[in-house]
Amino acid sequence: MKPMSHPLQLTRRHFFSRTSTGAGVAAMASLLGERAHGEAGLPGIPHHAARAKRVIYLFMSGGPSQMELFDYKPNLEKWRGTDLPDSVRMGQRLTGMTAAQSKFPVVQSMFQFRQHGQTGAWASELVPHTGKIADKLCFIKSMHTEAINHDPAVTFFQTGFQLAGRPSIGSWLSYGLGSENSDLPSFVVMISSTGKGDQPLYDRVWGSGFLPSRYQGVKFRSGGEPVLYLTNPEGMPADGRRRFLDDLAKLNQMQVEENGDPEISTRIAQYEMAYRMQTSVPDLTDLTKEPESTYQLYGEDARKPNTFARNCLLARRMAERGVRFIQLFHRGWDHHNNLPENIVKLSKDTDQAAAGLVTDLDRRGLLKDTMVVWGGEFGRTVYCQGKLTKEDYGRDHHPRCFTMWMAGGGAKAGYTHGATDDYSYNITENPVHVHDLHATILHALGIDHLKLTYKFQGRHFRLTDIHGKVVKELLG
Amino acid sequence: MAKRRMRLLSIFAGFVSGLGLCASAPGAVEFNRDIRPILSDRCFSCHGPDAASKKIQLRLDSETAMMADLGGRRAVVPGDPAKSVLIQRISHEKAALRMPPAYSPFKLSDREIELLKQWVTEGAQWQKHWSLNPPARPELPRVRDAAWPRNAVDHFVLSKLEREGLQPNPAIDKAGLLRRVSLDLTGLPPTLAELDAFLSDNAATAYERQVDRLLASPRYGERMAARWLDVARYADTNGYQTDGERSMWRWRDWVIRAFNSNMPFDRFTIEQIAGDLLPNPTRDQIIATGFNRNHRGNGEGGIVPEEYMVEYAADRLETMSTVWLGVTMGCSRCHNHKYDPLTQKDYYSLFAYFNNIPDRGRYFKFGNTPPFEPAPTPDQEQRLAQLESRLAEAKQRFDGMKTRMETGQREWQRSLAAARPVEWSVSDGLKLHVPLSGKQFDGTAAHDAGKASPFGYTNSFSISAWIYPTAASGSIVTRGKDAVEESGIVLALDNGKLRWDLAARWLDDALRVETKETISLHQWHHILATYSGTKLAEGIRIYIDGKEAPLNINLDELNQEFRSGEPWRIGGGGGSLYKGRIEDVRLYARALGAGEAEMQALRKPLHEVATMHGKAAQSKLHFAYLEDHADADVREAWKHYRDLRYQRDAYVASFPTVMVMREMAKPRETFLLLRGAYDKPGERVSRNVPAALHPLPGGAPANRLGLAQWLVDPANPLTARAIVNRFWQMYFGTGIVKTVEDLGAQGEWPSHPELLDWLATEFVRTGWDVKAIQKAIVMSATYQQSSRVSPDLVQRDPENRLLARGPRVRLPAETVRDQALAVSGLLKERIGGPSVKPYQPAGLWTELTGGEDYKRDAGDGLYRRSLYTFWKRTSPPPAMMNFDAAGRETCIVRENRTNTPLQALNLMNDVTYLEAARKLAERMMKEGGRAPSERIAYGYRLTTSRVPRPREIEVLLGNYRNRLDYYQTNPEAARMLLKQGDSPRDESLDASEVAAFANVASLILNLDETITKQ
Repeated sequence: MKPMSHPLQLTRRHFFSRTSTGAGVAAMASLLGERAHGEAGLPGIPHHAARAKRVIYLFMSGGPSQMELFDYKPNLEKWRGTDLPDSVRMGQRLTGMTAAQSKFPVVQSMFQFRQHGQTGAWASELVPHTGKIADKLCFIKSMHTEAINHDPAVTFFQTGFQLAGRPSIGSWLSYGLGSENSDLPSFVVMISSTGKGDQPLYDRVWGSGFLPSRYQGVKFRSGGEPVLYLTNPEGMPADGRRRFLDDLAKLNQMQVEENGDPEISTRIAQYEMAYRMQTSVPDLTDLTKEPESTYQLYGEDARKPNTFARNCLLARRMAERGVRFIQLFHRGWDHHNNLPENIVKLSKDTDQAAAGLVTDLDRRGLLKDTMVVWGGEFGRTVYCQGKLTKEDYGRDHHPRCFTMWMAGGGAKAGYTHGATDDYSYNITENPVHVHDLHATILHALGIDHLKLTYKFQGRHFRLTDIHGKVVKELLG
Repeated sequence: MAKRRMRLLSIFAGFVSGLGLCASAPGAVEFNRDIRPILSDRCFSCHGPDAASKKIQLRLDSETAMMADLGGRRAVVPGDPAKSVLIQRISHEKAALRMPPAYSPFKLSDREIELLKQWVTEGAQWQKHWSLNPPARPELPRVRDAAWPRNAVDHFVLSKLEREGLQPNPAIDKAGLLRRVSLDLTGLPPTLAELDAFLSDNAATAYERQVDRLLASPRYGERMAARWLDVARYADTNGYQTDGERSMWRWRDWVIRAFNSNMPFDRFTIEQIAGDLLPNPTRDQIIATGFNRNHRGNGEGGIVPEEYMVEYAADRLETMSTVWLGVTMGCSRCHNHKYDPLTQKDYYSLFAYFNNIPDRGRYFKFGNTPPFEPAPTPDQEQRLAQLESRLAEAKQRFDGMKTRMETGQREWQRSLAAARPVEWSVSDGLKLHVPLSGKQFDGTAAHDAGKASPFGYTNSFSISAWIYPTAASGSIVTRGKDAVEESGIVLALDNGKLRWDLAARWLDDALRVETKETISLHQWHHILATYSGTKLAEGIRIYIDGKEAPLNINLDELNQEFRSGEPWRIGGGGGSLYKGRIEDVRLYARALGAGEAEMQALRKPLHEVATMHGKAAQSKLHFAYLEDHADADVREAWKHYRDLRYQRDAYVASFPTVMVMREMAKPRETFLLLRGAYDKPGERVSRNVPAALHPLPGGAPANRLGLAQWLVDPANPLTARAIVNRFWQMYFGTGIVKTVEDLGAQGEWPSHPELLDWLATEFVRTGWDVKAIQKAIVMSATYQQSSRVSPDLVQRDPENRLLARGPRVRLPAETVRDQALAVSGLLKERIGGPSVKPYQPAGLWTELTGGEDYKRDAGDGLYRRSLYTFWKRTSPPPAMMNFDAAGRETCIVRENRTNTPLQALNLMNDVTYLEAARKLAERMMKEGGRAPSERIAYGYRLTTSRVPRPREIEVLLGNYRNRLDYYQTNPEAARMLLKQGDSPRDESLDASEVAAFANVASLILNLDETITKQ
């Protein structure tokens, strides 16, 4: 058999056909020496005009209490210590942590609330910076979920299903929308934490499930190498690595000629992208050129690695570079006990930086096509878990209502959606289910959630399973 | 020239026929191949088996339904597309009336509409879905090139190629073939000696001899097991939130042994599904049932256990369906299957087989959750036998002193009355004794007994005390924070009842028992509380005055360590103070037994005991004598015997365990669950197999054993097909049915249906001989083709479904690493054993949990085959995941391969590969000859099994010289590069040279060819 004479012509078709499980257009483009714009998404996407090009999702892992932060319930003060009425609880299931409690005394927030901005949105003294930008935010007071424990609840928020095995939202977007940058992954994850003993996270929540693994989130780490295996070993200088890659490409190219398998050309392109990542990632994480004003905006914490503030700053830098889905996790919101003390700490960790991020994006003109989402996997109960004292109380998991906010990327600014009863226990208007939120985020990105599907085990799976409706009111 | 035209023609044909895989030329519409996939994919989700739930009348999944008269209109009128409503609607000019509807994600292409029309025109012949018909052994198709086939497999492949106008590739060269088959059958490349032996063996049977050698290698079992661990979702942790360690490696080793001993696949099936139900099951047969306990287990606080009991049974049933049947049973959990004839009732009838084991919804956070069994290794069994025989000897020696002992004890007893009163109490295992004689507790303060012996979650221990309570409530002995319902140990009186709490956190992580009866105040009582370290209330005993007290179990949710840094407190702690007297508090580092409880409750001087009757008195005297008063020989013989017994017990307790299946005596009832929800039971169902499949074999018991027999019943149309299809995937990268997880209506049409059936029937015919079927595949000419491919053929058949060339597939994750270890000489081969922790970047576990980080091994653990790498489900080894390893959270049967920059970074910069490059460089220098080009060729051949071409050597040599220059002028850089990895450096070699060769070795390890089977 004659070895093929024009391997690149062949491989171009190979890439564009998407029949290969190898790299897509991005790698091909760079292989051909064309200017790389990133990888194309699925044909037919966007399904409609997109408002957002990318998402920064600030996941508050553990489940922040809506009553201490945004869902102001003044009546609780007079009901403090009284049992949650059965007419409110309505026999709903509780977690195994409090189901055996003999009493369910309600407790009000220890923190003062006030209204903010022209729209008069309520926010507590814990989140003054968020309060200041309230007019830019779209609050959803009526979020609800199905899971009552962390693992299934986080998994549900991230993948639309409580059990392991499905792709995360970021993977769906990488798969559907492709990438805007050929030097960086399209889906990046960063984790920060307040301290030991917080609820753990799991690789699966940014995993690709049944989608090919190239769509999984790439974790940017704060200590050591930002991306695993990114750094050349000591004793391998940059020019040595360049030489290595050139020689490797030559040898692999000989194999292309010898064997003809286009996957080898893909491999060559992947090594080139790896090399570009070795430059683009340090450039991304190099903050030496950030001005002082950045730290005034995001807070002093942003100077320290492994903080939420630092990750917010990095998120902005990623957004500037076209990373499609940037997911931050901040662990530590699981306040079963010592809530007053702990929530102060967690709010300090996150409030200024989250607000700073929105403000910064806005100043740079990025907020119009970047959607920022803030929220946890569930809310917390109005009744106290454990001991209720003058100074101290705790709250259990509450899936039936909680607050999230969105900003930018088409989210309706200065708007509050939905409401809860006087106990912040049940939703009284406009419930928004996790599937609805997913459908809405996808909609803002130009995707019809019914049509972004992947066939696995004979079924056309969707992020929204068989549910979800776009909440148009959330989009301005 | 003529040949070239031929190829062009065939390319054209390929475009038209869509590779001949989905549709074919006019005149040859076949329902199962061409029509069912369209109907299933675009129509069945509404007009399929579950149509009724959407109140949709028209069904297209059965012939009768499709042809039925629906009020004067029929969906399909054979021969008359114009009258067929199906055809009218799919080609309707009004968008609003066109099917599928605009709001659905589905569309029909013009070509598909044409196919449907053509099918109706041709008479609308219906066929039952292919995989539901039992495979019939096909005749070998006739082929024009009769010289090419080497076995039956090739007839099917070649006949298709000939129909497609294609020719098979020439055979691969011998060296390439040996590398391919060695990687495939053992997961490791051939050594140079193996290679040379094969190259110089010119016998016709040379290749077959190699295949037989490889099939007989113990590495074969490791290679086969690797894929079985994926499908069995095997891991070393529990998954879910805490993801604590579990121990299932004895099951993993069973799998390796089963493959190596070529256990017939039907037995392999029966033992894993129902080994416990076989008559007089062996330990191995019970270990085999670990298959169904490999699913994740949730230990998170606050979960609803019933919810997870359902998830576990569902996981078992869905895994079994995927692995053995290739059926997506999970689709029927909430409603009838949308595509296949499987009802929701079928689902729960199968569920009922797996819903009857005495497990718990809430798994232990750490360790194995019942039911589990001790599973000693053969070595351990051997050592146990030695211990037992030493124990028997010791007993014999001790028993031999019986007369002497009895005489001695009688004499001693007689002397007791005259002597000063002597007390005796059990001292074996005693860790702390607090006499407190005469101490009064007035409810104002506790006695601090110090911080010694901080017993915890997995220890067995006992608390013994004499109490004289004057108030009905108060803490007797505690260790933990001094507050109500905190973590720690609390043994207390609570309204007259004796209550024992072991708690990590109230309420969800605690154990609480209390005696049913109250004890009287103002009286002395002996109390003894024992905990056997089993984490469960069933491991708790409380004895009052020597008698076991019946207990109420109020909480049995203990799930974590409760060991406390606080001191032992007597008469207080746990937020409550005691009133009365407490004396003679003893803490033992073992769970005392009932006999000992009786003895302890006899608090009298021995001369008084000697006047008493009854077993307790006799025992007390006997043991008091034995331990303290017998002559030295007897005492020594007794202590020796006793210590050996403990040694034996401790040894048995140290055995690895494995979670297994077991039936509950009284079957748990199973209900259909509405929408699949654990708390919405519908009608009651009993165990049964799906009605659309073959019935249970006659005489099959109504339990898992019957189910297992049904799986491997030759009448089963699915099992053999599903299994050989996955074997095929191992060799060719893609199954004959590409959707190896789904042979149902939504699955892909087989590329070679008759080949699939031939393999399936051959597998059963040979008695499910696993090695024989592997051999049939690798002995075929199809397998032995070169993988070279022309641009034309890539366009025509990018995925090599027609098999006009040999397989070219990136190596599985574990083989990428194992090969690097092997060629660098680092690999440490040993079958089985606990999982090991090779290199992994620091901090990964801590980032996720804030807890302890991965602690890598030193020594051999760094260099074992990757199959033994510790697998944490929520943070799996990144170097495996980068290369598409299955995540092991759920059953994965499809092999996935991607090509990413992260793989490049991994191979270039992971210490694993840098160390391998360094050691490979040393091998090149020491074994490869003198000239750099020889050394380079040697390393190249070690890794790829082939001699590099001159131009390849030229590139590598150029790299070597360039790097040598660099390292000679920068010796510090060489030193740094050679620091990678724990293995010692050969100091006799020049560092700059090694560093330069290490660059070359790293290049070789990064070649596409190296990480590819081709």
